[in-house]
Amino acid sequence: MIETPTSPAPPPRDDAWLRLEVLYRTSRDDVYAYVFTLLHDRAAAEDVTALAFERAYRRRRTFDRRRGEERAWLFGIARNAALDELRRRRRFTVMLADPADPADPAGVAGVAGPDAGDVGEGCEPILRRAAVRTALAALPARERELIALKFHAGLRNAELARVLGVSESNAGTMLHRAIQKLRKACDEMV
Amino acid sequence: MRWFEEDPLDPEIGAALEVIEATLAGEAVDPRDADLAELALLLTAGRPTMDPGFAAKLDGRAASHFLAPGPSSIRLRARPQWPRGERPAQPQGRRHRIHWPELGGLLAALTAAFVAIVVLGGSGGRPSQPVKGTAVAVQSTFTRTPPTPSSAAGTVVATSSAASTRHPSLAAVPSAAAPSVSVPSAAARSAAAPSVAGQAILRPPANGRKIIQAAQLDLTTPPSRIDDVAQQVFDVVGAENGIVQSSRVTATGNPDGSADFQLSVPSQNLPETMAGLSRLRYATVASRTDTTQDVNSQYTGDQNQLADARALRTSLLRQLAGASTQTQIDSLNAQIHDAEASIAADQVTLGRLAHQISYSQIAVTIDAATPIPAPVTGSSGFNLGTAAHDARRVLTVAAGVALIALAVLVPVGLGAALVAWIALALARRRREQALDGA
Repeated sequence: MIETPTSPAPPPRDDAWLRLEVLYRTSRDDVYAYVFTLLHDRAAAEDVTALAFERAYRRRRTFDRRRGEERAWLFGIARNAALDELRRRRRFTVMLADPADPADPAGVAGVAGPDAGDVGEGCEPILRRAAVRTALAALPARERELIALKFHAGLRNAELARVLGVSESNAGTMLHRAIQKLRKACDEMV
Repeated sequence: MRWFEEDPLDPEIGAALEVIEATLAGEAVDPRDADLAELALLLTAGRPTMDPGFAAKLDGRAASHFLAPGPSSIRLRARPQWPRGERPAQPQGRRHRIHWPELGGLLAALTAAFVAIVVLGGSGGRPSQPVKGTAVAVQSTFTRTPPTPSSAAGTVVATSSAASTRHPSLAAVPSAAAPSVSVPSAAARSAAAPSVAGQAILRPPANGRKIIQAAQLDLTTPPSRIDDVAQQVFDVVGAENGIVQSSRVTATGNPDGSADFQLSVPSQNLPETMAGLSRLRYATVASRTDTTQDVNSQYTGDQNQLADARALRTSLLRQLAGASTQTQIDSLNAQIHDAEASIAADQVTLGRLAHQISYSQIAVTIDAATPIPAPVTGSSGFNLGTAAHDARRVLTVAAGVALIALAVLVPVGLGAALVAWIALALARRRREQALDGA
């Protein structure tokens, strides 16, 4: 989890505003990372991130702490927005391939990036990183989402379970299965 | 809501997850788990980062609490980047968002309209129940029809026609000769009382025809007032030169107390007598029955028959004066005797009929009953009792309306909740399908 410096906020009008300010500062980059991993589209990820926070601000009074932590609540909103985006895409057409992301130096859909340009001695970490990225992109969306929630968004297992609507042990099992798959794919590549 | 039992985590999986958690927390792990730890670090290191330009814009919007610009109008960047000429055609027609507040308002308005129709229409759709004190009076007034000129007699019954059987003289009136118009039995005897008492007293047309009139009056009074009311009956009859032919007063102080009167009053005083009896203190008129029977032709016939008998006797007397033989004398004496007997019988019949015409029979019954409070008219009758009564009535009506509204709103609410639940489940299912198909 990375603290994000933000511009000074106006004085909070109530407790809900204050909580949202803190939540925004601590979760902005995490939400974006999760959504980007899920959508494979930087522009769409930015839109969905903005939309998720917008919805969170609009529904700030509906948050019920008894139903989970605020981060789980926020990622639930972000997940719904991201899945709506996926649905929208499917309605329009089936994309032949994920568009290349000019902002991603390694690319998303392949290992063909600067990291993979030089495969000489001492480049094994770079190769491994590229292999992990490729294997992650090749995972089914449901498992990719688990990885994103755990390693990109930094959710605890309980929060992860809350976002997905499953039990904590079930979430742990699913996460372990996804990691095993990822390890196998990485080993095969390297 | 967790409604299922949570399965215990497999120990091997639990250990792997612990290694991941330790790695992410920066703690040392067992060298045997180095591969897993390295993978976790690589995944964390591969975390996508946000474009600084977008981050700045987002921070700006967060500073304004995402209040402006509008929700879905923000497109921070053109999306997605379709290859030239390969962008699929957008579906025609804008996808409409569901405006829940407007939809809820519309639903509430429809529900309110439905309740209004049910409540207001319900009272108008059913046959009107008589309202205490007035509805029966109006109904009886409207349904009362005067006797047609061609009819020999007319009967106006203000309440149940069964009441007329109490009066012997009324029961003797041939119904075929007296077509009656009956109002359906009052919903409550006491409810009809004020209006019956307030009706105009019937007066047959003063055209010289011979008419027999009779009436029956049913009164109710508190059990403790039987004696008072009975005494007032005597007073009224005496004042109108009437006769109390028979009476029976049973005063027990309980609701089983009663009194019966058989009255005979001069026919010309009948309207005033009835008016007086209808205004007795402590008494309420439960029902009143007025009966008339035109006996003009019968009276004229009896008169003619008497005249004929007298003429026959005169003729026989003249013949007797001129009779010469004993046989003629005996025969005429016998005929004269028969004629005189006939005259006597006719005189009795005519006299009885004349008495019936001159004196009207009135049957009065007094029953002890719990008095019904008179309806409040005007502000002068306002007191705590009537206020409490009105308040109770208002609360009853309000509770009834609330009950009806509830009967409508509960099914509507349950239906709306079911629809909302199905819609949410469908949306969730569609999202999961989108994830599976991605």
